[in-house]
Amino acid sequence: MEAVDLLVLLDSQQFRRLRVIENLLRERKTVSTLYWGQRYRLLYLLGLAKKMSRGALDLPAQALLQQGLIVTGETPDQVRLTPKGEQQATQAYYQPQTRDTWTRLDLMAARQRILLAVQVTSQYAHETKRYYPLATDLATRQAVRRWFHQAKGQSLPGHLFVSLKTALEQLPEMVAEVVTALFTGYQQPGQTVDQLARKYQRTPWEIYLMQLDGLMQIAQDAQDQNHPLRSLLQSTWQSPVSRSAQQTLAAVGRGRSLEQIATARRIKPSTAREHLLEAAILMPVTAFPYDWILTPEIQHAFATALAGPIDSWQYSALPQALQERYAFFYFRLYAIWCDKRGVERA
Amino acid sequence: MLESLESSLEKVFGFQTFRSGQKAALSALEAGQDTLAVLPTGAGKTLIYQLYGYRHAGCVLIISPLLSLMNDQVDRMRVAGFRRSAAINSLTSYSERQEILQHLADYQFLFMSPEMLAQPQMLHRIKQLNLSLLVIDEAHCIVQWGPDFRPEYLLLGAIRTQLQQPLTLMLTATAGRSTREEIARQLRSTPTIVAESVDRPNIFLDVEQVADEPAKQVRLTQLVGQLQGPGVVYFSSKQQATETAIGLRQDTGVRVAAYHAGLDSEDRFKIQQQFMAGQLDVICATSAFGMGIDKDDVRYVIHYHLPADLESYAQEIGRAGRDGKPSIAILLYAAGDEQLPLFLGQANRPEADTIQRYYARPQAFSEEDAAIALLAFYRRHGISETAVINLFTRRERERNRALAQMLAYVREPHCLRHNWLQAFDEQSPAHDEQCCSPAGAPVDLAQLGLLATTRTAPTVVTGGWTAQLRRLF
Repeated sequence: MEAVDLLVLLDSQQFRRLRVIENLLRERKTVSTLYWGQRYRLLYLLGLAKKMSRGALDLPAQALLQQGLIVTGETPDQVRLTPKGEQQATQAYYQPQTRDTWTRLDLMAARQRILLAVQVTSQYAHETKRYYPLATDLATRQAVRRWFHQAKGQSLPGHLFVSLKTALEQLPEMVAEVVTALFTGYQQPGQTVDQLARKYQRTPWEIYLMQLDGLMQIAQDAQDQNHPLRSLLQSTWQSPVSRSAQQTLAAVGRGRSLEQIATARRIKPSTAREHLLEAAILMPVTAFPYDWILTPEIQHAFATALAGPIDSWQYSALPQALQERYAFFYFRLYAIWCDKRGVERA
Repeated sequence: MLESLESSLEKVFGFQTFRSGQKAALSALEAGQDTLAVLPTGAGKTLIYQLYGYRHAGCVLIISPLLSLMNDQVDRMRVAGFRRSAAINSLTSYSERQEILQHLADYQFLFMSPEMLAQPQMLHRIKQLNLSLLVIDEAHCIVQWGPDFRPEYLLLGAIRTQLQQPLTLMLTATAGRSTREEIARQLRSTPTIVAESVDRPNIFLDVEQVADEPAKQVRLTQLVGQLQGPGVVYFSSKQQATETAIGLRQDTGVRVAAYHAGLDSEDRFKIQQQFMAGQLDVICATSAFGMGIDKDDVRYVIHYHLPADLESYAQEIGRAGRDGKPSIAILLYAAGDEQLPLFLGQANRPEADTIQRYYARPQAFSEEDAAIALLAFYRRHGISETAVINLFTRRERERNRALAQMLAYVREPHCLRHNWLQAFDEQSPAHDEQCCSPAGAPVDLAQLGLLATTRTAPTVVTGGWTAQLRRLF
């Protein structure tokens, strides 16, 4: 990631923590990371750079600081755009159109599958029997093999071409170009992200985001009954909520208390609470039983005690009596609920 | 009775005749003799065990040190029609490994890293297989000592004994007499040696002395700008390969890419395929590049850094001119260049007193240090302190000797080819103008027909992305 890639993830009002952004990219899914990821509207970054090293954002942040584009807050880890930074951040940088749905797909697995499927079909279309397949993991190879066995036939290449074209036409011209250039197939080795970045004078990260946007569009289209990649991609759709958290949530739905759930599932009550917070953050507001947990009494108590922007709320600043009555969990869930409903000021 | 080797060759590969060395190696194996085949890059070493595996029931187990390239090897096996091939190494995911282990007996060709084979459980499984042949690929790694040195290679002799001394094929592109002896000694074998000349008469050898690093950069840029491609420039560092690729692209306008083990597999695949398809003129590479490159029209190989020994040098320049047409190998040398291979060699070599202190109190050391990790490895395998000290001393001596030999090549005043071949105990043909140009002697690239006559115009992609997508299908 370069400085400009980080710049567009920052805000002029809200101080954002570099470590949160880093943890999102590296898929360190703690509740705190997820909560702030939601507050920053950056949850789509989850797991996009799993191999990124710790502290990898420090250098780009330093560059931004030196150019006067950001200022630091109470700690050097908290940064905010300066007016000059804000001006630069609004300059042309690609905003992926499909990003709100990225957490619903195992995008990395889908990416591998689509790439290999395109290569296999392309070579098949040109009747090449011997060629080097893209190096992928066993799961991808098996999934593509199964899919191809079932899908191959004279009409497959044409059908796949039309489907991909339809998907890419929904995106800006440059994104369609960049995604097409990513593909490997008959007599087309495909181009690397770095090569495309040079060609278009963009950063590799921006090119990567464009490609993910294109691949996501393809995956979305592939939900259609007649799409040739439907069966290949079906198993890459996932709930962003971990299985364990889903189980806790389901138990709440059956009317169990947190203590009962914790005992039954042999987890700590605090873990059960974390499950619920994770689910609340990652699910649409209507899919989570806020009313069951945040009783009208709790809602009223917090609404009275809390004022100002959500980010300024502090549990430790609440009246002692309120803290004693309601654990941090309720406070955090209330904030998530307000955030999700777009209630910025309670 | 088995069909003749030629009939098998025809049936499996559709070739009428063997390339030199292949038949001698196969005949020795067929006669049940362990074989050390020293065959130059591009001579078709793989075919030897492919054909042997085809002719005999059981599994061919190939031990290869090149982790990142092992999957390429398996792909190549499959492309060649040997579908029952698999690789197990530390990069293999858990689930994939389980899957392979479940069907272990079904594989005809199994690639494995030495450290994987050194694991007791794995060795136990392998013992149960019917091994038709054990192949030690890149066998010179037993002797070479560098940053990628694999201590596990030293265990192969003991492992071979545990496997009941299966018929063994040792493969390497380059090995002088002492290396051959060391390979045989380590593997506890007295193999039949099949060796082809390492000489490549169509490769002109050139050593150029430059004043310093900046002068080297200038000269490299000049050469890349003038020489007929495609070409490969070798570096000892990933970072330098990457940075120089950027510089060359800007300064010469040729199509350049960097290739090294730090790239992800998708990028490596694409760059390799682009180079093969003629979409790149120059690769700035580390030693990770080369294996698996079936490109016979490489016109030049330039070494930016001094290789650690003549054997790796021979292997790397061997990628030029496989089509038999005039090609050139240029080594750029600035005084003091030998410091880098010296440093790289010493980087993970513990001193004698460290070895003593470690053996006295192993728990006081952190294995995060590469040198300590190496010691821990030996200790765990029951190798005594004295043996380890001797081992390191011998290796150090061997390494210094190899580097001195490399330097002697660089400083050779008369005939580079003579110097080079002598190192491999070979006679050289009489020196002439087409042979070589030692440092200080002028080289006429035009006379040698190595200058670029036409610059390949960048591939023009017509018709926008839809047309490009259309062409895929």
